[in-house]
Amino acid sequence: MSGQTVGANCVRPNTIQNERKLIFSAKDIHKHYGATHALKGAGIDIREGEIIGLVGENGAGKSTLLKIIIGAEEPSSGSLTMHGKLYSPRNPMDANRAGVGMVFQEQSLIVSLTVGQNLFFGHEREFSKFRVINWKKLYKEAASALADVGAGGINPRKKVSDLNFATRQMIEIAKVINVTKGASGEKCLILLDEPTSVLSEHETRNLFEQMKKIAAKGHAVVFVSHRLDEVLEITDRVYVYKDGEGVGDLLTPEATESKLYEMMVGRTASGEYYQVNRQREAQEEIMLEVKDLGLSGVFKHVSFQLRRGEILGVCGVVGSGKEELCEVICGDEKPTSGEMYIKGKKVVFSSPAHGLREKVIMIPKERLAQGIIRTLSIEDNIAISSLKILSRNKFVTVKSVRKQALEWISRLRIKTRGPRELLMRLSGGNQQKVVFSRALASKCDILVLNHPTRGVDVGAKEEIYTLIRGMVTEGKAVILLGDTLDECIGMSSRVIVMKDGLVTGEFAAPPDGKPGQVDVVSLMM
Amino acid sequence: MSKLKMLSKINIRDNIIRYFSFSTLIILLIFFSSQHVNFLGTANLRTLLSDSAPLLIMAAGMTSVLLLGSIDLSMGSVCSVANVITVMIINQFAPRGASPGLAAIIALVASIAFGAASGLLLGTVHVKFKVPSFIASLGFMSMWQSAALLITPAPVSIARVMRDSVEWYRVVFGVAGLPLILAMGWVAVVFAFQKKLALGRAIYAIGGNERAARIAGLSVDRTKITVFAVNGVCAALGGFFLAAKLRSSAPTVGDPFTLLIVASVALGGTSLIGGRGGVLGTVLGVFTVAVIENGMNFIGVDPYWQSIVFGLFILAAVAISIDRSARGLVVK
Repeated sequence: MSGQTVGANCVRPNTIQNERKLIFSAKDIHKHYGATHALKGAGIDIREGEIIGLVGENGAGKSTLLKIIIGAEEPSSGSLTMHGKLYSPRNPMDANRAGVGMVFQEQSLIVSLTVGQNLFFGHEREFSKFRVINWKKLYKEAASALADVGAGGINPRKKVSDLNFATRQMIEIAKVINVTKGASGEKCLILLDEPTSVLSEHETRNLFEQMKKIAAKGHAVVFVSHRLDEVLEITDRVYVYKDGEGVGDLLTPEATESKLYEMMVGRTASGEYYQVNRQREAQEEIMLEVKDLGLSGVFKHVSFQLRRGEILGVCGVVGSGKEELCEVICGDEKPTSGEMYIKGKKVVFSSPAHGLREKVIMIPKERLAQGIIRTLSIEDNIAISSLKILSRNKFVTVKSVRKQALEWISRLRIKTRGPRELLMRLSGGNQQKVVFSRALASKCDILVLNHPTRGVDVGAKEEIYTLIRGMVTEGKAVILLGDTLDECIGMSSRVIVMKDGLVTGEFAAPPDGKPGQVDVVSLMM
Repeated sequence: MSKLKMLSKINIRDNIIRYFSFSTLIILLIFFSSQHVNFLGTANLRTLLSDSAPLLIMAAGMTSVLLLGSIDLSMGSVCSVANVITVMIINQFAPRGASPGLAAIIALVASIAFGAASGLLLGTVHVKFKVPSFIASLGFMSMWQSAALLITPAPVSIARVMRDSVEWYRVVFGVAGLPLILAMGWVAVVFAFQKKLALGRAIYAIGGNERAARIAGLSVDRTKITVFAVNGVCAALGGFFLAAKLRSSAPTVGDPFTLLIVASVALGGTSLIGGRGGVLGTVLGVFTVAVIENGMNFIGVDPYWQSIVFGLFILAAVAISIDRSARGLVVK
C-alpha cells in the first residue's frame, strides 16, 4: 500500500459545482420500520466528481438512506433517479448494474472464501466457459483490481479469514470499485459507510487517495463517518441528518466541526417530557463501583461509581464500547482487566445468572433477539428472572406465576387479553413493558437499561420514563444507554461519554443544569 | 388484515400439531380393527399397552431434550448398556442364592447410576466444549454400542432361579399391566419436573430463546446438563424394563429405539427446534407409534417395511409442525 499521489492535486473548485451533471438524486424518501419512522422525507443530490459527506447521530437515518440507495431496503415512499432516469433497485446486484456500489458497515465479505472469489462474487460467469470457472484468469483480474486501489500487496488467493480488518476493508473497496467500474460506461456512485473506523492512520490516507482518484475520473463518492475531521478534510459538500430528516447541506470549506455539531444534535425536548422534576439527588450508598474495567480490544480503563437512586447515562456512538460495557456489568461477558464491586464486595460474574444472584440485571437492546421468548406466554416471560423468589422448595406453582403477572399487568398497564397470551402477539411497547416487569419482579436493585425505549411508540416511551423515575425513587440504581442523546441526558443525573473504548468525559446532569448536547457530542466523535 | 391472517395461520398450525397424533391414533385404530376383528381384543390391547412401557419412559426423557432444541442420539445405546448390566448383575446373584428382589433392586440402582453418569458426561461435553448435541450424542452412541457388546457379546437369559426378579413385569390389572402403570407414574414425575420445578420452566425458556434466557439470568448450562442427566436415567430405566420384558439381555436391544423415541416425541407435537410441546403430547405419540408397530405385526406387515413407515411418519410429523413463517429461520 504505497502512498500514491495520482490525482491528489486535482482541483475541484466549488464555483463550477452547479454546472456539473447530476448523477443521482433522491426526493422525499420515507421509510417505516413497524412503528419507527426512520426516514421522514429525506433528499440528496449528487453530482459528477463530488465527494459527499453524510453526518449525523446514530439513528439519524444515514445508514437507512444508504441501504435504500444500494437496494438493500425498499423506501416506503419517495423517488430515486440515477443519470436522470427513474431508479428502483430491488437488490444490491441491481444497483451494481446501474453503477452504484457500497462498502457496508458490517463486513460483507464471505470469510471462508478467497480474496479473488470475494471480489468477483456473483460475477463468476464473466470468467466461465460452459459453467467452468477459469480461476487463473479470475485471480489475474483480481490482482489488477487490487493494484488499482493501491492494495497490490494482497495475494488474491488468500482466504479472507486469514486477513486483518484493515486489509478486508481495502478488499471491500476494491470489490465495489471494480464491480461498478465494469457496470457501465457512465459515471458511478460509490457509497462508503464508516470505512475508516477499522483503518489505521496510514491506511486511511491511502483510502483518501483512492477516493480522490475515483472522484477525479468523474465518479461520485458518498462518505459516511463519525469522525468529523476526516469528513472536513476529504469531502466537497456535507449533508447533515437528524431524526430521519436532512437538516441541510453546506460546502465543506464553509463548514466547521462546531457548526456541524450544532446542526446534528436533535431538538431538546422539554424537561417535562423526561419528568426532570422527579429527578432526585443520588443517595450516599455506593451500589456499584468499577475500577479500571476493560474488555480486550473493545474498551479499557473504565472507572465509575453508581449510587443508590442514581441514573448514570452512558453516551457514545456505536462501536464506542458502551454496549459491551453493559454486557460485562450484567455478567454476560467476562472482563479481561479491572475490578467490580457490588456494595463494596468484590465480584467476578461467571454468567448473567450469577449477576442476578447479586441483584444485577440487564434489559437488553435487541428486544426480539435477546429480550422476549416468543414461545412463552406473558406470565412465563415475566417469571423467568424471579423463579427463585416464586419457588417454595424448588417448586413453582402456576398460581404464583399468574398472580405475579396479573400484578405487573395492572401496575404497568400492559394491554393484553390475559397473562396466558403469547408475548409475541403484543405491540412493541407492551412487549417492552413485559421485559421491564421481568426485571422489576426479579427484585434486582442495579438495573442496566440498554436502549429501553427502542422501537416503542411515543405513549409507551412516556410510561417507560415514568417507570424508570419510579425505580430510582424506590432506591434502585440505573445505568442507562439512551435511544437518543437527548433522552440519555434528560433522564440521567450524571453522564459519562465513551469514544473508541475510552471514557472521554463526565458531566453532572442536575435538573437545573443539564449539559448541552453539543458539548457531549463533541466528546463522542 | 395481514396480521390477522398471520395469527389465524399460526392458530391453524397449532391446532394441527395439537390434534395430529390424536387423529392419527383414531384413524389407525379404526384402520387396524377393520383389518382384523381381534385387534382391539383384551389380549392384544394388553400386549400393546405393556409393550409401550419402555418406549414411554424413554420418550418422556427425550421430550425435555428436544424442548431445549437439542437431541440425544445415544439413548438407544445407553438403554442397551443398562439392559446388559441389569441381566449381568441379576445373574451374578444366582449362585449365591440371594433374594431375586434384592438382586433386581441392586441392578436397578446400578443401571440408573450408569444412565445418570452417561447423561451427565454427555451434557458436560455438549455444554462446556460446545460440541453440538447431535454430534456429541452420536459419539456417545458409538461408544456405548461397543461397550454393550464388550460386556456381553451375545444375548443372555436371566437364570431360572432368578426369574422372580422380573416377574413384576407380568402383573396385570385389567388391560393395564404394572409396567404401564409404572411408566405412567414416571411420566407424571417428568411432567412435574417440566411444569412445576423452577428448573423445568427454564427448559421452555431456553428452548424458546436461549440468548434471552441467559440474559434474564437463567442458569442455561446447569439446566442443560441436568436435562441430559435425567434423560440418561430414562434411557437406563428403559433398558431395565426391557430386561424384565424379555427375561434376557441383548447388547443391541436399544438400537431401534432411538428412531422410535424421536418419532414418538415428534408425533406428540414437541417442536424439534425447541420451546414448544410437552410430555403429555408424547404419551399420545408413544401410543400412536405402539399402535402402528403392533398393528403392522398384527396384520402381518414384513418387519423390514416397518422402518420405512416410521421414517415417513417422522418426516410428516416434523414437516407439518415446523414453523416456517419465522423470518431468518436457519435450519441446520
